[in-house]
Amino acid sequence: MSALSISGLGLVGPAGNTPDELVSALSTPGGPVDVTGMYEAELPGALAYALPEFSTRAELGRKGTSFFDRRTALTVIACGRALADAGVAVSEEIRDRTGIVVGTTAGSVRSSVDYAVETFTQDPPHLVNPALFPTTVMNCAAGQSAIWYGLRGVNATLAGGRTAFLSVLRYCRTLLRCGRADTLIAAAIDEFTPHAAWLTQLSGADVAPGEGGAAFVVRGAAAARGDAEVLDVRLGFCPRDTDISTALGATIRGVLDRAGLAAGEITTVASGTDDDAFKATVAALDGRAPRRLRVDEVVGDCPTAVGAVELAALLSEHRADPARDGAVSLLVARTPEGAFGVAAVRAWSRS
Amino acid sequence: MRRVVVTGLGPVSSIGIGVRAFEAGLRAGRSGVGDITAFDPTGFPRTRAGEVTAFRPRELLRVLDADRWGRSACFAAAAARLAVADAGLSEVDLRDASVVVGTTSGESKVIEEFGRRVAGEGFAAVPAALAEQLPAGRLSFAVNEELGIAGESVTLATACSASNYALGYAYDAIAHGDADIVVTGGADSVCRWAHAGFVRLGAVAELECAPFDRDRTGMVTAEGGAMLVLESEEHAARRGARAYARVLGYALNCDAHHMVAPRAETIAACMRLALADAGLTPEDVDYVCAHGTGTLANDATEAEALHAAFAGRVPPVSSIKSMLGHTMGAASAFGLIAAALAIARGFLPPTINWTTPDPAMPWLDPVANRAREAKVRVAQNNGFAFGGNNAISLLGAV
Amino acid sequence: MSDTEQHLAELRELVAEVLELEPEELSDTADFQEEYEADSLRAIEMLARIEKRYRVQIPQKELAGMQNLKAVYEITAAYAGWHG
Repeated sequence: MSALSISGLGLVGPAGNTPDELVSALSTPGGPVDVTGMYEAELPGALAYALPEFSTRAELGRKGTSFFDRRTALTVIACGRALADAGVAVSEEIRDRTGIVVGTTAGSVRSSVDYAVETFTQDPPHLVNPALFPTTVMNCAAGQSAIWYGLRGVNATLAGGRTAFLSVLRYCRTLLRCGRADTLIAAAIDEFTPHAAWLTQLSGADVAPGEGGAAFVVRGAAAARGDAEVLDVRLGFCPRDTDISTALGATIRGVLDRAGLAAGEITTVASGTDDDAFKATVAALDGRAPRRLRVDEVVGDCPTAVGAVELAALLSEHRADPARDGAVSLLVARTPEGAFGVAAVRAWSRS
Repeated sequence: MRRVVVTGLGPVSSIGIGVRAFEAGLRAGRSGVGDITAFDPTGFPRTRAGEVTAFRPRELLRVLDADRWGRSACFAAAAARLAVADAGLSEVDLRDASVVVGTTSGESKVIEEFGRRVAGEGFAAVPAALAEQLPAGRLSFAVNEELGIAGESVTLATACSASNYALGYAYDAIAHGDADIVVTGGADSVCRWAHAGFVRLGAVAELECAPFDRDRTGMVTAEGGAMLVLESEEHAARRGARAYARVLGYALNCDAHHMVAPRAETIAACMRLALADAGLTPEDVDYVCAHGTGTLANDATEAEALHAAFAGRVPPVSSIKSMLGHTMGAASAFGLIAAALAIARGFLPPTINWTTPDPAMPWLDPVANRAREAKVRVAQNNGFAFGGNNAISLLGAV
Repeated sequence: MSDTEQHLAELRELVAEVLELEPEELSDTADFQEEYEADSLRAIEMLARIEKRYRVQIPQKELAGMQNLKAVYEITAAYAGWHG
């Protein structure tokens, strides 16, 4: 029995707004763009995989959006595209059982840090902008998306950095399996801001900062076959310098066993820019080296959304190529602290 | 479905650290609210907070280096240490456990320091060591690292109901066989910017937090770590562990209406969903551990929702935020600890600072000012949040 | 333009921004809540902007009376001492 059925995909970011655009970006990466004029604050570099022309008002209109931060606006857009792609109209009958689960690292760091900055520059210090206070909470994007689309079901935000999106899938699987929702949107989005750019710089990433992400409409395992099924998704943690390769390998083998998969059935592995995680995955697959999917050349460093963009890339490739129908891929992620996650995904074209 | 029991409690609170001190604080109606020391409150029109001034991370943590982890992570890990000790679990028992932590602002003191650097010398002055501590996921990671836990590590960032979400996550994991043991709860820290935001919204009390009082003036921002050990009933029985309470069920829903203003209709629906999930009716509930922030809007909305969901027959309702202040992401977990103690020890925690009935809720029994002996078979724990993230859980006698 | 006209124009722009309207869409006497779907957070935001712009302190209890542009002007004028 699989864990989840995926029936729609919503993209946002410099790699395109549709599966076709993402597939062509993957084959011919556009490269980073000049972002020097985007913000007044200094940036650590002139280039980023960002949307310098993005305007919340142009995309979503004026009403209800003046206090959206960038992450919230991008999330609302991605959720709308996912619902449309899945052909879901949020009617009165389904809104109580339709929800959203969003992955994050620390919310909109620009929103919370700038709030703190204001308390050091305003006199008296509490003359902060009250209307922006909701943007400082990490569940702002999920809460605003629920308001925008009228989703009264489970509304959750999970923090986990590079493993956040796999945590989102895992939580969706549990919520659906336990009957706590019928339909969920699973999403992870990054925003390009000076704050995010400096965090990428400080993390030592050798890729320019990025933004964007993806949202997916997911249902329980019993739902009709959609674009893909998540066969299994598992999370773990490597405490106190225990060996990550061993732990990751054991988890990958467990995922294959439970899904009844042989190592040779894995055609693609995505592990971000994490070479060690890829090596550990190859070792767990008895040394068979499947194709490695990397999305950093099209979206840059997306420390939260990377897993969602990888899944979007897989689904987009499948949609463009019926010859790949039924192929299985692995998503692998880990954080510097030792958290890790693994998901096995089988996908199809729509033909 | 497997039964789920609460076998360990770990409060790190302003009214007591450890279950014994916390219970004594609840029974005595102690206030943990005092003058702000966590940041320089000069210029703020409100200068009170519920700080855990007695928190010494190094005295409670055995593994984590408190210099390399933010204050909220230290709260979570220290509270988890206390909870597993209270449950009598060893590190070997815990190896395959899961960890689920709720939070509102994650490492809010790290964000504050980040902002101080940016305001002073700009982004280039932000050190990498500070940036490393920023991710909110580190709250649960800290618990895994401190306790040597190799199971999944999840941080739920659903603001002020987050630790009720965490409880629900833990309950489902055990009930459906994903885990035998889950260490769960919440943590947050008092910080300058969240205090400023709540003050700016006009939501902060002048001196004390007086939930459900006619003359309440608001909430008090507060902090702490509150963790619980949940186990499958058979796992607890096999090792001869005593249980405080059983988790009967929970529910989540979303207002989908306003980021800040709560909505009674959806909250009442969430209460009904939780009761249905637990297979209970309103008459079964003996005590409600309220969200009870002490703001005009929250308490009025919560009372309206309770009145609707309980068809006018509302059991005693108290707010431990009157004692602790609003501990944000830890608030629901402190509520769970209080509810578990109410069930196990037979008393209702009081709402302190209460003087005058609110004419809008004359029927409400706030357990005014003094703890009350009572037999509690079922307790309901309310949690509401920015984003309209409602989460309600139910604990019952074993 | 007189001081009064000037202040009223400034307030119109400020309130319109908060209510996500064009300044010309905002009439002097239309109720913010009834006509423009304002809520308590918008009201606090409006108050915050007025306080910041004119360096005045207006207690939050005055919000109850600030239901349309004319009333906002009157109350702000009283606290800012515009009536001389």
